[in-house]
Amino acid sequence: MIELQNVCKNYGLTKALIDVSFSIKKGEIIGFVGPNGAGKSTAMKIITTFTAPTSGTAKVGDFDVLKDPLEVRRIIGYLPETVPLYSDMLVNEYLEFIGTARHLNGAFRERFDWVVEACGLEPVLKRKIGVLSKGFKQRTCLAQALIHDPDILILDEPTSGLDPIQIIGIRNLVKDLAHEKTIILSTHILPEVATIADRILVINEGRIVADGSFEDLIQQVTDRSSIYIATECSKKDFQSAIHSIPEIEDVVFDPSTPRGVVGCHLYYTAKIDMIAKLNQLIRDQNWDLVEFQREKLSLEDSFIRLTKTSKPDTEESEKPENDNSGEEGGTE
Amino acid sequence: MNDIAIIFKREFRTYFFSPIAYVFSVIFIVLNTSLFMFHFFFFGNADMRNFFSTLPLVLGLVFIPAISMRLWSEENKLGTVELLLTLPMKTEHIVLGKFLASFVFFLIALAGTLTIPIILIILGRPDFGPIVGGYFGATLLGAFFLAVGIFISAFFSDQIVSLIITSLVCGFLVLIGWQYVPMVIDGWIPGLGEFLYNYVGVTRHFNDIERGVIDIKNIIYFLSFTALFLYLNAKALERRKY
Repeated sequence: MIELQNVCKNYGLTKALIDVSFSIKKGEIIGFVGPNGAGKSTAMKIITTFTAPTSGTAKVGDFDVLKDPLEVRRIIGYLPETVPLYSDMLVNEYLEFIGTARHLNGAFRERFDWVVEACGLEPVLKRKIGVLSKGFKQRTCLAQALIHDPDILILDEPTSGLDPIQIIGIRNLVKDLAHEKTIILSTHILPEVATIADRILVINEGRIVADGSFEDLIQQVTDRSSIYIATECSKKDFQSAIHSIPEIEDVVFDPSTPRGVVGCHLYYTAKIDMIAKLNQLIRDQNWDLVEFQREKLSLEDSFIRLTKTSKPDTEESEKPENDNSGEEGGTE
Repeated sequence: MNDIAIIFKREFRTYFFSPIAYVFSVIFIVLNTSLFMFHFFFFGNADMRNFFSTLPLVLGLVFIPAISMRLWSEENKLGTVELLLTLPMKTEHIVLGKFLASFVFFLIALAGTLTIPIILIILGRPDFGPIVGGYFGATLLGAFFLAVGIFISAFFSDQIVSLIITSLVCGFLVLIGWQYVPMVIDGWIPGLGEFLYNYVGVTRHFNDIERGVIDIKNIIYFLSFTALFLYLNAKALERRKY
């Protein structure tokens, strides 16, 4: 449905996208994830024909974004990050304008009623857009993207600036639409898309750094597994006992455990039945077990790891030092 | 065709919702008629020579930039340019719709100055040739300046910047049609001033039409420059970098 091949985009000297290729099948929900300025919006702008790629090809449906932009625009519903609204118009006037501009003609009334219902715009239909709250503005703009019943929905940070209840509302709406449409949504908060996206593309500094389902992604980040264990024994005994399992690579003690209890995270990469081994150890040592659980690496964990891989660490660590010296110079 | 009408409708409506438009049309009408009346009472001639001789400068420096500044700058600022350019419409049609909306608004303001010829008819017996020619020339001149203004507004998201640049460009186009400006330029680069005077500056062409001499060359001058800037505007938007 959507296919990008070796797409590059430069804004002057800045490289916003570097050799980006991916393809999206019909009906998939894709989460674009990356820190601010990673190139998510640029990729979306290329798909929606708003900006042209510097090199490479992008196809939407069977149409090239450069050769048949009008055909591409017809099948796409787009919610830009900036939430473009004419603040002097009423909500219904705005939707009517978009409806006529998208040539809905006879089908307009029905679609209009549907989006008003789906986006919950009933109470503000006759209000001026300029005075609406952020949530209603976002929903008005979402209604604009849905009014022509597009096959493809591109949502650039649809939940930014919304409160948790509104975020759930938008998430549910996206879920409802999922069966019939291909959806791309971007966010810089990974958990937000983890629950609804079939596939996640992680973009950082203009490159795709990871592509796959949420589970794949975590696998890709690290093969490490982790188990948390807390027992009643002395730290010394525990340490020496744990060393009898050579597969454990890293032991991180939990400082918050009460006196007499040792808690720690055990990290390992080997594909062995670690639980069985630990069970054996606990039985041998005659420990009283307080807590034992297999740990899932958190989303943030994997996300931070992904986006850090391509960053040169040296620059970052040097910066604060320079700032400090500058400030000192100023005060003297 | 339909698309042009859709954009035109929205754009035209906005003019009547923004206070700036009203303020500027009132200033335009008051300024022009009072400038005219000053001379009219002084010399007592039943013609509009004075009115049309100051018109290009008033239009170019103030009025046209004020109409055209918001056309794209406002869209850039609100981000709605992203919405507009991802609608299934040809960019040329969107540009044309916007241009026509501003053009019709300009014509309405220009029509506000028709009180002058009405007064002249009541008070004297004016020669209609130059008056009709003058209004015809003003229409063409307005179209040309608006095309320049809409082209410039696409590059900025600040309306005031668009206004200032447009009035600089339009002011230049008027000034190089004044005899001594091309003479000075000719002093630096022989031939350039003459060329600018004949082919680029608006004053000579406007004055010809205003005298009542409707020469097809002058009409082609205005129409081709208008079309050129509208075309450039559409191309600039399609090749936008941001």
